[in-house]
Amino acid sequence: MGKIKRYSKVILFEHWLIALSGIMLIFTGLGCLPLFKRYYITELPGLKWTADFYLLTKLHYIFAIFFTFGVFFHITYHLIRRDFGLLPRKGDFVNSIKAILASFGLTKHPPADKWLPEQRYAYVGIAGVTSILVITGILKVLKNLEWIVYPPKVESVVNLLHTIFGGLFILLFLVHLFFVLGVKANWPLLKAMFTGKVEEEYVRERHSLWLRKLKKRNNLDTRSKN
Amino acid sequence: MNFNRRQFFKVALGLSALALTPKELKASPGKYATLIDITKCDRCEGEFMPLCVKACREVNKHRFPDPKKPIPPYWPRKTYEDWSDKREIIDTLSPYNWLFIQKVEIEGHTLFIPRRCMHCDSPPCVKGCPFGALSKQPEGNTVIDHNICFGGAKCRDVCPWHIPQRQAGVGIYLKLMPKLAGGGVMYKCDLCDARIKRGEEPACVVACRERLKDRAVYTFGKREEIFALAKNRASEEGLYIYGDRQNGGTSTLYLSSIPFEKIEAKLKETRARFGMPVKVVNRYMEEINPWGKAVLVAGALGIGAGLVGAFYSKKEEKEEKHGENQEIF
Repeated sequence: MGKIKRYSKVILFEHWLIALSGIMLIFTGLGCLPLFKRYYITELPGLKWTADFYLLTKLHYIFAIFFTFGVFFHITYHLIRRDFGLLPRKGDFVNSIKAILASFGLTKHPPADKWLPEQRYAYVGIAGVTSILVITGILKVLKNLEWIVYPPKVESVVNLLHTIFGGLFILLFLVHLFFVLGVKANWPLLKAMFTGKVEEEYVRERHSLWLRKLKKRNNLDTRSKN
Repeated sequence: MNFNRRQFFKVALGLSALALTPKELKASPGKYATLIDITKCDRCEGEFMPLCVKACREVNKHRFPDPKKPIPPYWPRKTYEDWSDKREIIDTLSPYNWLFIQKVEIEGHTLFIPRRCMHCDSPPCVKGCPFGALSKQPEGNTVIDHNICFGGAKCRDVCPWHIPQRQAGVGIYLKLMPKLAGGGVMYKCDLCDARIKRGEEPACVVACRERLKDRAVYTFGKREEIFALAKNRASEEGLYIYGDRQNGGTSTLYLSSIPFEKIEAKLKETRARFGMPVKVVNRYMEEINPWGKAVLVAGALGIGAGLVGAFYSKKEEKEEKHGENQEIF
């Protein structure tokens, strides 16, 4: 059985850069809330340093360097390449429901392209929340540098929005983890996030539209070579 | 795409240089400042309550917390901060006492130091509050919005003087997840925000002047004038200044005939609840902000790398189409 390349090295790099720095931003961000002292985390062996808000904020900034790079790279790279496969299409809502039911073995998989319809919704959700986090984060950085002085109300709103959207980010991250780790039908996609490839059998079953496109292109290329 | 590697590095370097150019680390000062002359304070000798403290409590009493009882503890801990049965305490800061007179005995002298929020030029409490409950006003004062404050007490932790005080059992946290998050509301001096916005002076300043006339401890006014006055008096009378440099500068200046290093040492020795550290670095400015510049550079580099990456991937795709198909193997 053949294997099909699903993710390029660039995609793997983007995903893991954003994922790993994002996880560290969640940890340091929760620490900045403040929650760690109350919940005894600062008393755990090796985690005493989490009681220092200044250190936590500094680390939050350091992980934000990687996260911000990843997000801006992602937007620019895919915008120029016109990779819009993860943006919702007509009929995605009904197909999302069908596909989620199919993931739990309740119905048959509706024919899907490279990306599943529910993935497209998830992408828009997490991309929207991430955008607001990055924008408010940058506004906070500029404010703390005092390159810009906001009116008091604006300062309050920016701080509050960053915290609220941080909470939404954690929520969506947990939903993402659930669908990746908890739903067996998605395990080949998890494996692909490490290897970049998926089994042809999996694609045939779940991404028939994508397979058709790949084959069509393959034929075209073979024909053009002849 | 007309963007080669060399051009990309040029742009990236340019943006990095721009962001990393050392901009003078200068806090944004407000309009007003207060001079507190310790050489003149006698804690209103003969009075039960110093008049500045009395005036402060009177002006702000409508904003004091009135907690609902029983107060839920900060789960999973069994504790909570409650000052509601100690409202009469006037010799320290509390949610019911935003100004107190600290007594210090040094070398046979008794000093009385009015203590309250310093109103920093670059306040870490404002920068650190995750809920936006704290804000720096154009007048130079720092204000807590009691309606938004969750009472996490981070502002107290990041404040070099640990000024804000917490009262549990009040505030917005009770309406959300009182068991899991939030601890009440934080309280501190806001330099009589409403009064100074109306063009009046803070209540403590007025009360002191009513008693001591031109020998008043407090002088409130335009920042430049207060700073000039403090510097003149310090050089003419051999006095020491506190508050001009601490934490990157504040809008509260103390004048003393005894060096502040000695006051700091004495407060440390007596384990006073509120110290007066002389060397106070603004950690946001020193430790955090340089990384903020790096975050901005990273964003610009991300865009640059995205442009270069897209350019090369398109080129590769074109080459791939002429060669063997790589998608299925």
